Order: sequence, then C-alpha cells, then structure tokens
Amino acid sequence: MNHTRTDILVGIFVLVGITCLGYLAIRLGKLELFGSQGYVLTADFASVAGLKPGDPVEIAGVKVGRVEAMTLAEDKARLTLRLNDGVKFQEDVIASVRARGLIGDKFVLVSPGASDKIIPPGGKIRETDSQPDIPDLIGKIVGGDLTSKGDKKDDSQKK
Amino acid sequence: MKILLAALFAVVTLTATAHAGLPTDQIKATIDKAQLVLRDPRLKPAAKLAERREQLKQVLSGRFNFAEMAKRSLGPAWSRRTAQEQEEFVRLFTEVLERAYADIIESYIEEKILYMTEKIDGGYADVGSKIVTNKGEEYTISYRAQLVGNEWKVYDVVAENISLVNNYRSQFNRVIAKTSYEELVRRLKDKNEFAGAPKK
Repeated sequence: MNHTRTDILVGIFVLVGITCLGYLAIRLGKLELFGSQGYVLTADFASVAGLKPGDPVEIAGVKVGRVEAMTLAEDKARLTLRLNDGVKFQEDVIASVRARGLIGDKFVLVSPGASDKIIPPGGKIRETDSQPDIPDLIGKIVGGDLTSKGDKKDDSQKK
Repeated sequence: MKILLAALFAVVTLTATAHAGLPTDQIKATIDKAQLVLRDPRLKPAAKLAERREQLKQVLSGRFNFAEMAKRSLGPAWSRRTAQEQEEFVRLFTEVLERAYADIIESYIEEKILYMTEKIDGGYADVGSKIVTNKGEEYTISYRAQLVGNEWKVYDVVAENISLVNNYRSQFNRVIAKTSYEELVRRLKDKNEFAGAPKK
C-alpha cells in the first residue's frame, strides 16, 4: 500500500516536471501550440539585414507583435508581422527596421500615423523605411564613389 | 537583320513608354516646370529671389500635397488638434519645408534627373528617380504619391532611403512627448523667423 502511494507521488512529480519542461521549450522556442493569436500584416522593405523571425514589433518601445516570416518579393524583403489583437495600425504608419544601440538586436519600429483609416487584418503597411546601410556609406567615403565619378567622364566623352 | 533591329527598337520604345505611366509623367512635368523657373534668366538676379521662390512654390504646390505631408509628419497628435490649429500647423510646416529645401532645390538647376521606376498599388504610387549632379554624384530620390481625383499628389519624398515624413515625425513626436504641442509650434515659429531674417 505504501509502495503504491510513493509510486503515484513520484509519477505525479515526473508528469509535472515534463509538463514544465514542455512549457519552457514552447516558450523559449516561440512555438505556438494552440493556433496563432492576433492578426497578420505584411510590409515590404528595401532591406531588413540583421532581422530574424521572432524579433519584436514595437511602438514607442512597447512590444505589440513579432516578425512571423520573411520572404523575398520582387527584390524586396516582405515581412509578415503578427500583431496583438487590440493593436490598430493607421494607414499611414511608418515601419522601420531599427537596432538597439549601434550593433544591438534588430526590431521593427512602428510610428503611429494621423489617418482615420485602419489597416485591416491581412493588409499591407505601405510606408516603410530602410535604414541607410552604414558599411555602404563608409565604403563611399573610404573607397570613393566609383559608380558615379567614372560615369560622368564617360558621359562627357560621349557627348 | 534590319527588320530584327527595327523590331527590337520598337519593343524597347514600347516598353519604355509603357513603363512611364501617369504618376511619373505628372511628377516629371512638375519637376520640369520647376527647373524652367530656376533656369529663367529674368528671375536669376538676387533681387528677384523672392519672386522666383514664389513662382517655384506655386509650381510645386500643385503637385506636392503639403497639407498631407504636415498631417503625416505630425502623426497621432494631428487628430487631437482643432481645425484651426491644423491649418496653422500646415502653414508653419510648409514654411519650414521651404526654408529647408529652397536652397537645395535651387542647386539642382543643371542636374540631370532620371526617372527609373514606378509602382502603382491601388490609389498609391511610388516613383523612383535618380539625380546626377554636375560632379557626377548620384542620389536616389523617390516620390510617394496618392491619387486625388485625376491627379497624383506627392505626400512623401524619400531621399537616399530617408523619408522626409518619417524624419519630421520622429522629431515632432520627440518634442511633443518631452514638452507639448504648443512648444512645438513655438519652436517652428522661432525657426521660421530666425531663418527668415538674414535671408531677406
């Protein structure tokens, strides 16, 4: 009798332990078991270098959603953003990819707009802003702007 | 061979004309007109500066929707203002734009402007262009326009990936968050008076 009782207790303990581990794995892996909550918007960016699926979408530093998927659409990066249900984006919100600090984690910053129209679920954020590429700018300064200076000479010769 | 070349030429010209749709045509027409004003020798003398800028403003205001730019730049604070305050803000914002960009636009008299891409999506369009300066430097500028009636009205200008509206929106919102809307208006007024004084 005593034996069975201890066995049951150990059994319950192990079950609770496994449930906790499972919960942790799901949370840490950002998996979704019971269907996705919130709604989805897409946004096209010229570049989203450094951004990963799962990165947060923020308004004024507050997380309102996350990046669900990244695909390529006509040479542009198309982000699928999953947003919390209560969050409404006006038609003229501007989404930009920002970094925390100089080389910190990337996130999508959304600055609220002034329009009365709300983007419906499944809609598209039209205004996006890609940060200027710092290495590209440094390259122009250090290496000189080869693409343009050379062209000019060619042009004048042609004329 | 000749027929082949002719066919090729026809295809190239056809795609070129098909490529340049309505928004590009309208924006190009306005920019061309602005360049004409800038090149006008009668308006060249320094004494005619005010007149030249007035003409320039008239040409540009037909295509550039300054009210929409002001509204978008102010962001969420816009809807909390009264109609009168909104009107005042549009006026101040237009003056700020004028001060900030008149010199830059005037330096583009002789520059070559190439219209590269055009994307229309519902009532919105994105026209990509490239400015080639006399020194041979290239800058990308794209115009975001919205269809109002039959006219494409520009509501944002993105230069080298930096959006004018987004730039002003973050600045304005920072001022409003730290102080108040009234302070923002005061600063804009100060800026206009201060910047206006030495030029006249």
